[in-house]
Amino acid sequence: MVWERRVLPLGTHTQPGPGYFPLLLAILLIIFGGILIARGGLTRAFRSLSWSEAPHAIAILACSVLATLFMERIGYRITMIIILGFLFGVLERIRLWQALTLTLGLALGSFWLFDSLLRVPLPRGGWGF
Amino acid sequence: MEATFSNLVLGFSTVFNPANIFYALVGCLIGTMVGVLPGVGPLAGISMLLPTTFGLNPTSAIILLAGIYYGAMYGGSTTSILMRIPGEAASVITCIDGYAMAQKGRAGPALAIAAIGSYISGTLSVVGLMFLAPPLAKFALGFGPPEYFSLLFCGLIVLSYMTGGSIVKNLAMIVLGLMFGMIGIDQMTGYFRFSYGLVALGDGIGIVPVAVGLFGISEILATAGQSEKREVLKPRLRDLLPSKQEFKDSVGPIGRGTILGFLIGIIPGSAHIISTFVSYAMERRLSKHPERFGKGAIEGVAGPESANNAASEGALVPMLALGVPTGPIPAVLLAALMVHGINPGPLFIKEQPVIFWGLIASMYVGNMVLLLLNLPMVGLFVNFLRVPYRILYPTILMFCVVGVYAVNSSLVDVGIMSVMGVIGYLLRKFDFETAPIVLGVVLAPIIEFSFRQALAMSNGDYMIFIQRPISAVFLVVALVMILLGLKPLIWKKKDWRERLTEAEKSS
Repeated sequence: MVWERRVLPLGTHTQPGPGYFPLLLAILLIIFGGILIARGGLTRAFRSLSWSEAPHAIAILACSVLATLFMERIGYRITMIIILGFLFGVLERIRLWQALTLTLGLALGSFWLFDSLLRVPLPRGGWGF
Repeated sequence: MEATFSNLVLGFSTVFNPANIFYALVGCLIGTMVGVLPGVGPLAGISMLLPTTFGLNPTSAIILLAGIYYGAMYGGSTTSILMRIPGEAASVITCIDGYAMAQKGRAGPALAIAAIGSYISGTLSVVGLMFLAPPLAKFALGFGPPEYFSLLFCGLIVLSYMTGGSIVKNLAMIVLGLMFGMIGIDQMTGYFRFSYGLVALGDGIGIVPVAVGLFGISEILATAGQSEKREVLKPRLRDLLPSKQEFKDSVGPIGRGTILGFLIGIIPGSAHIISTFVSYAMERRLSKHPERFGKGAIEGVAGPESANNAASEGALVPMLALGVPTGPIPAVLLAALMVHGINPGPLFIKEQPVIFWGLIASMYVGNMVLLLLNLPMVGLFVNFLRVPYRILYPTILMFCVVGVYAVNSSLVDVGIMSVMGVIGYLLRKFDFETAPIVLGVVLAPIIEFSFRQALAMSNGDYMIFIQRPISAVFLVVALVMILLGLKPLIWKKKDWRERLTEAEKSS
């Protein structure tokens, strides 16, 4: 923050510029960070943390990133079919017919609910779907 | 007094049209479901459903969102009593005696007392809100930039103290939230700050992607893939009505919980959570048979559930009267009002009487709806609990993506949500509270604006914050809170906040 703020004018005490408040915040965060590092020995060890859910978390995060990158290109419905299909069918290994029903029902149903019924525009992708 | 009643009549005339009653009903129903389902808290619920209100007029929108808010507070008790899993954080304490009652075959009376207590406290708190918010707003009209800065500063310090856990960690989270709030165009000079050429960041980071990421996505990341052995105790609805003795035992705790919850609700921080713990401790101390607590004492359900609901409505007082949210949920409600072109603050009640009094009236209606809805439909809500989490979380993820995207039709927001999800997940791992970040993001533009205006007024003299009496009072309160928060660092003794955090984790 301190480094990035350098392009913003600091101003004066009388007329604080756009960089004034961010610099104050950065200094405060450095102070709090310093206190936390100094007291780090009193907290539980990093090794004691369990990361058993991490593989699932990474897969879910990848789905979220996929939506961010491709939803406007391939459309909401196709994106959701891919994401839900992957989560239900591959990650959670739900029975095929259940996974298919849930994927199509939720992807198409949510599009109908938001886009058609509530008039919240959702992306349609290059080929209008 | 007369003016209040004539305004209330105006509010009821606003609410009593079929559309608004329908939205109050739908809000309460969705809210109850949000409260019932573990993993979908009221904050993520309101944030995800915010876009569904875009097509509504502001009054209907806020009625719907407020319905979700207090509906979630009601619904949270169901999972606590039937499964020993709190539907939302404020129901943690209800798990203890509520579940013990359910194991003894008294799930029905526990649910009934939770609903009745919530109804009474909710309704009485609306009375408090109705009488307290307008004079508070009038008082705040005299605030200048120094007072506003000190009020917000004090609010953030109180929040960091009341949130529980380490005050240093909470302060760091507030600062982090304020830093996120710095992104975007500077309102005073028009400079682009920390936006790295992304035009979409010009308006800053939205509250919805931050809230959904920190509370919705991080929850999914942290809990997906875990084993899900859930035992749902089936309530015997035949025995829903509490006995005469149970009613008698609940009257005092409901009354005390209401007053306590409302007062704590006004204070920034995790008010509704704290109020339940304080209420439980108070009831146990006042009881002639404290040994019954933990083994199915109805007072252990009645008090905290009433306090929880009263606090959630008390929290609306500063939000509506001052435009200052006291926690992440009021912050999202505030953002929702802003989306609809309304700026809450001291002038809100005066300038938007239809919305304010409509909201008040809708709360009376909503509390009645929830009482009538929760008990007969408890069997239906229990069925939601039987949906396996491996089916539930992809559905929640889908709603998170739609909800966040729909606010601005922006994929940048979906990206921010993902980043916030990871940040929230890691912060939870390291025992950091994420609620202060949300509040920091919301308050950052106002606090910075007030700070810079105050310095401009005083020619750069920081003494202006101390020389103005109201501002000085806020700063003294903030200083006291900092000193209280630092006490355990010096004496190395656990204070009530650390014990509260441990109790929350162990439940």
